[in-house]
Amino acid sequence: MGMRVSNEQSDSAAESCVAILSKRFGGSDVISTVEHHSNAFKMAFVRIHCPPQHWPAVAKSLRFDHGANYCSMVTGTHYPEGNEDRGWEVVYHLMRQPVVDQKPFTNTVHVASELTGSDIPLEFEILVALPQGDEPSVPSVQSVWVGADWNEKETWDLVGIRFEGHENMHRVLNPHDSPEGFHPLQKQHKLRYHDYNEMYDDAQGFGRKPTDEGRVK
Amino acid sequence: MAQMWITMGPQHPMTHGLWTLRVKVDGETVVDTEAELGYIHRGVEKIAESRDFTQITPYCDRLCYVSAMTWANSYIYAAEDLLEVEVPERAEYIRLISAECQRLASHLMWLGAYGPDIGSLTLMTWCMRDREMFLDLLQELGGSRMHYNYPRIGGVKRDIPVGFANRLVAKVKLFEKRIEEYEMMLDESTIWLVRLQGVGYANAEDMVNAGVSGPNIRAAGVNYDARWAHPYSVYDQVDWEPAVEKPTSVKGADCYDRYRVRMEEMRQSCRMILDAIEKIPGGKNTNYSNGDEMILAKAPTRAPEGATGFSNYECTRGASKFYIQGGGDGRGKNPYRLSIRSPMFITIPYVAKTMIGYKVADIPAIMGSFDPCIGETDR
Amino acid sequence: MAGQDENYAAFNSRALVEMVGDVTDEALKATKIKQFLSVLAGRYFNWAGRKSLFTLHLGIKCCAIEMAAAATPRFDGDRFGVLFRSSPRQSDVLLVNGPITKKFADKVVRLWEQMPEPKYCIAMGECAISGGPYFQSYNVLEGVDTVIPVDVYIPGCPPRPEALIDGFGLLREKIIRIGAAPSSGRKGEKPIIVGED
Repeated sequence: MGMRVSNEQSDSAAESCVAILSKRFGGSDVISTVEHHSNAFKMAFVRIHCPPQHWPAVAKSLRFDHGANYCSMVTGTHYPEGNEDRGWEVVYHLMRQPVVDQKPFTNTVHVASELTGSDIPLEFEILVALPQGDEPSVPSVQSVWVGADWNEKETWDLVGIRFEGHENMHRVLNPHDSPEGFHPLQKQHKLRYHDYNEMYDDAQGFGRKPTDEGRVK
Repeated sequence: MAQMWITMGPQHPMTHGLWTLRVKVDGETVVDTEAELGYIHRGVEKIAESRDFTQITPYCDRLCYVSAMTWANSYIYAAEDLLEVEVPERAEYIRLISAECQRLASHLMWLGAYGPDIGSLTLMTWCMRDREMFLDLLQELGGSRMHYNYPRIGGVKRDIPVGFANRLVAKVKLFEKRIEEYEMMLDESTIWLVRLQGVGYANAEDMVNAGVSGPNIRAAGVNYDARWAHPYSVYDQVDWEPAVEKPTSVKGADCYDRYRVRMEEMRQSCRMILDAIEKIPGGKNTNYSNGDEMILAKAPTRAPEGATGFSNYECTRGASKFYIQGGGDGRGKNPYRLSIRSPMFITIPYVAKTMIGYKVADIPAIMGSFDPCIGETDR
Repeated sequence: MAGQDENYAAFNSRALVEMVGDVTDEALKATKIKQFLSVLAGRYFNWAGRKSLFTLHLGIKCCAIEMAAAATPRFDGDRFGVLFRSSPRQSDVLLVNGPITKKFADKVVRLWEQMPEPKYCIAMGECAISGGPYFQSYNVLEGVDTVIPVDVYIPGCPPRPEALIDGFGLLREKIIRIGAAPSSGRKGEKPIIVGED
């Protein structure tokens, strides 16, 4: 009752992490900042902008020095109208969770207000910007987190970003016999019937035209 | 003896959803497994790029259809992070009550589907009967038994009806006695214990590295719960504790621990609901009209380019996350990219590896104990 | 006649049965009694089989939860004879309760082909009727009737379990009318939709 990780704890965890990262990677293009969410509690998290060539080093540092043991999400986005150096982007969301193996017949009950140091749960958001082009690729972190494995497969399957060094890459959500090079979440692929005219012209056997035929969205 | 691959194909009564599990067996022992997903991949992430923010909520209900309210809440928190909206407190309490009712209904559905796998058909009838109680309550709030489209950006659609509090308290109190009936039937049944104990070990550090979260991790003895670690809503003001089990082996949690964690979570959800309905600001018997500022705040409809929203929500099966980038079509009315993180997408390949070394008859027990739901997996 | 087995009597009983069968068949066909009997048998078959519809245990998406709820104590489909079977070889009804994606389309057709005649298909929910909310998707077929013939449509998202039971009732009425005809011969029939009177 009444227990949660407080704002001070998460601020202090985020700031100490950013200080260590800036000291280690400060000279290169790796920029780490402390940001806050905009919803009710405004908890802090660490946001890192990282170029793709430094990404394996940053990933290993986060895993082993900062304890980010949970790779939760890998998102790929296509920016055909973006800058020259940001045509594609891969966003990794990692988390640090205070999880350790338990001895039999014991459990660990954390009291949130008593967590200190590297036990405080923390979120990391790493944005890796890739230049414009048709062959975006990022080094894979499959060996660092097991959880990144299927996330990277899905990102390649849907967006088309290749992950170098990823073993056993195959399609997971689209059918296996999808055409080579078909990655639906790229912006040049449009949805079916994205224009109203097209939708009403193909009646699907309903045999009735709506009264607002001819309207364009 | 020769080894062979057996396909537990998409249409299979034990897989709880449409996915293929290919097992390589050597006699009766499982030697290797492979999971294949994607049979109901609908492309929600692509469809969401041409929908307004309010129009995406029904799609999120249909992601994990067994616990629709928690997924809709999860998306709404991300949208509120993107659009920078403050939610009134009464709405947060109503969201908590609806999410915990949905958690109860989802765990009952899990138990009702798990029972026939192990052999107890009675359990299915009992669980579905009790689940109908909570579906009636959610129907009073949202209008439908399964896909409610209830939360709105900035609050909830309509307030709790008059008399809802009495019905809620009566049903939850009745259900607390029913949990004891379930435990009486199951914990003293030799078949249940023999089929669940000692099967399907999974230890905490492997699970966290693989990305598993939720009750599956808490069964291994660690009380990590996004409701207190990455707080949202009013969980810090109601009376509850995370349900955590003590694993019986150094190898980690077995199926029996995962079953016990969910029973304990049902108890904690009952406790939360009874406490929240008493503490709700504005009183439990008042009914504000739709759109009143007590339950719905004004929210902008457009998100500028460069704005992002992220939510980390404790769904019934794990941590569900949404990542939204603004600045899409319609000068920002649609999201540019909506990315959905489903806990089961990560857990199912992990479960497939957990089964190695056990017998073929243990496959349904292990698979069911991780509570798969394929709707969210395939998005 | 007693070709292969010298141990048996001169008339091999199996050959005798076949010969008598052929002669009787020709006689019945000539007097049109066979046609009369098969129509009578077909009507009897429909009458007997309509209340015992073995449904395939196929759960695709959300409507499968309502299908499961229809089998539970509150709505109780079992009293109407609806029983779920795991194998398509043993079932009469294919209840399609979710969107059919390109990956699964081949499997649905295979399940349909594995079911023995007479077989019926019920499309439950919007996704199975027309693609539902995902009609624009790159991976979802616009309705299951693009690949297999459908007998009854049950609209709703998801339809209530009472609507599913009503759908089975309408299917029973359809079986009495045209039941034993093979499924490909039912093309000219008007589609049956639950809720339209």
